[in-house]
Amino acid sequence: MSTLTEPNPLLEGLAIRRRPEPCALVIFGASGDLTRRKLMPALYALAVRRLLPERFAIVGAGRTEGSAEEFREQMRDAVTRYGRDAFSPDVWDELAAGMRYAKLSSSGDGEQELTRVLEDVDAVRGTEGNRAYYFAVPPSAIASLVRALAQEPAAGWVRLIIEKPFGHDRASANELNSLIGEHFDEREVFRIDHYLGKETVQNLLALRFANGIFEPIWNRQFVDHVQITVAESIGIEGRSAFYEQAGAIRDVFQNHLLQLVAITAMEPPSDFNADSVRNEKVKVLRSIHTPGPKSVVRGQYGRGFVEGLEVPGYREEEGVAHDSTTETFVAAKLYVDNWRWADTPFYVRVGKRLPKRETTIAIQFKRAPHPPFEEMAIGGLRPNVLLIHVQPNEGLSLVIGAKMPGQGMTIQSVHMDFLYGSAFRDGLPEAYERLILDAMVGDATLFTRADEIEEQWALVDAIVAAWQRDRAGFPNYPAGSWGPPSSEELLQRDGRSWRRL
Amino acid sequence: MQARFDAWAGVDVSVAEIEAELARLRESEPGEDRGPRQRTSVMTHVAWVPPEWLEAAERTLEGMAARHPSRTVLLVPEPGREGGIDAQLSVRYFSAGDREICGEVIELRLHGDRVRAPASIVVPLAIADLPLFLRWRGEPAFASGHWLELVDLADRVIVDSSEWEELRYGELADVFAKTAVSDIAWARLYPWRVELARHWPAIRDQEIGVRGPRADATLLRAWLGARLQRELAAIEVSDALGVRLGGEEIFPSEEPPRSPSDLLSAELDRAGRDPIYEEAVLSLAEASPVVGAAA
Repeated sequence: MSTLTEPNPLLEGLAIRRRPEPCALVIFGASGDLTRRKLMPALYALAVRRLLPERFAIVGAGRTEGSAEEFREQMRDAVTRYGRDAFSPDVWDELAAGMRYAKLSSSGDGEQELTRVLEDVDAVRGTEGNRAYYFAVPPSAIASLVRALAQEPAAGWVRLIIEKPFGHDRASANELNSLIGEHFDEREVFRIDHYLGKETVQNLLALRFANGIFEPIWNRQFVDHVQITVAESIGIEGRSAFYEQAGAIRDVFQNHLLQLVAITAMEPPSDFNADSVRNEKVKVLRSIHTPGPKSVVRGQYGRGFVEGLEVPGYREEEGVAHDSTTETFVAAKLYVDNWRWADTPFYVRVGKRLPKRETTIAIQFKRAPHPPFEEMAIGGLRPNVLLIHVQPNEGLSLVIGAKMPGQGMTIQSVHMDFLYGSAFRDGLPEAYERLILDAMVGDATLFTRADEIEEQWALVDAIVAAWQRDRAGFPNYPAGSWGPPSSEELLQRDGRSWRRL
Repeated sequence: MQARFDAWAGVDVSVAEIEAELARLRESEPGEDRGPRQRTSVMTHVAWVPPEWLEAAERTLEGMAARHPSRTVLLVPEPGREGGIDAQLSVRYFSAGDREICGEVIELRLHGDRVRAPASIVVPLAIADLPLFLRWRGEPAFASGHWLELVDLADRVIVDSSEWEELRYGELADVFAKTAVSDIAWARLYPWRVELARHWPAIRDQEIGVRGPRADATLLRAWLGARLQRELAAIEVSDALGVRLGGEEIFPSEEPPRSPSDLLSAELDRAGRDPIYEEAVLSLAEASPVVGAAA
């Protein structure tokens, strides 16, 4: 007699695409920019690829008045505007049929409305009480929502997907972690850093740990230094209320940039499960030496030109104080104090209104020990550099010296490129597609654990504390430049320079 | 997505001429509005295409060129014609960010004796260090030298048993010890396998009736029999695949239809052997008659 516990022999060999169990995805902050630009297009892309559960519902939840019909209309507009796939009425109709809206209010009635809507989708859509709650809301709104959810009886599984920034400093992150921990298990919490969903960031792990040639030289003995740049050409895009509080250090440095450092510097995990990977990352974060004031540069952009257009300075942006001391640029020299990386500087920089949008990790190797062609090299014999292009053109490049054709022995630096599109022609999924699906499936590998967040904040708190002691002379770099002169000096003092991007 | 292609044709050519012409085509000026060029370097795709299959093969290639812009070598055997090797070369360009990616298609008509040792033509044209996929159009001549030597070169052999006059799975099974095998007919069964798997454990004891095109239905029945370890009723041959489970018709969930190009593309993305397919095919080697009354 067969039983349900016997393994299903028909499943063997079926590379069944990961499809979550039936569930309802509740988006807090349904009318927000993130929902329109990223979340809904990602959900639509998953629907096109039939990766969403067959029994699925999306519940928009927000403080603004609205109906399910209005919510569907807004989301349809978002999909047609920002989606990567051509709009298909069939796909949309199926997705839209499961869309509802619940208005939240500060009095608590809103949560009852949400409960009613969720009970309805369970009954109509068969979502079996499984809930993924996406917090696309400011940090200040998270705690009250978590408390409200804790009161909800859970008929199925619950997953909390929380956008960055997670807290404002270590104390607030601790507090939020504690509050969440009182009501939910860590395995139910998915703190999003969308950089971890990018193919190239995951490919960095593949590059390091699936290729035998890199790991032996991935250390202080062969690497001269590492440069990580997260450059944006845009300004604050109307987000002054958030940015005035956050600045570059909380907006990007604390999360994206430190995650890139951690993935670049981490030891090989024993396997690719969530805790193994995150254990190694947190070891790196704990090993980062707190940089002294001379090793950190902050900046704020003034008026300047980007792509030929004159753009206002930060203090001229709408909603920004005319004497604001919020930084829009941070550069730092970090050291990871462990056997692999001791004395190897990690130069990192993040900034807004820089000349171009570019996120790159550059591993610069030490020079050849005996360069017989030194005098014949164009512009001097340059060291090998391994470039990991995170955005916009995802791929890898290795800079090597090559002989120029012809008589003599003239050496020139050339790039050997691996461009994702040249080998894998399928469109790269957006980071949010991967992460939303992972969260619904319950795979936390690409999410940030509580202890990682706290270590990241500990470093940022130490830097910010040093800034409190003196007043910055802002603005100190024109829009469209690579940051204040002190950023260049940070490397020049060590006889190095930022890569020309 | 395909931007354009440059082409060259030659009669009675050598492999060296082919390589030289390909290099010339690749290195021709990209034009003012185009960035640097890069040759794709993922695989060599060899297709054995008897003339009656050429049109279908070219259509499939057209559909998958943008997804797998590999070096493709189409071998068209024409033993009845006099002469050596006639070649048509094309380098196809696809935009990828700020540069162009090129894939190459080498169509070789093998005349007379040149059909006898195709591996000696393929080896110098294969891209070094990369996997070689062999797509065999129509029914393989399993005992022939050209089948055996091309199979020896391949990291994966791809057939479509629905193209065969006779379902010679026993002979195909001989290849399993040498290299990985894909069967497009098997790939088409994927949604049916997913659907049938959903019926576990009830399916274990239910009456199962399979009907459909001969190859597809035979493979599906063989898979069910091997996996469930039970004898199944013979298949009924019909135009469309269908399964009755416990007297009820079942239907796979609606997936977007997959074109021949999509199916071949998916097989080119595969890594490693497929033990479940091999198990089903091996079970056919010792099977009782699988075909029942014709529909």
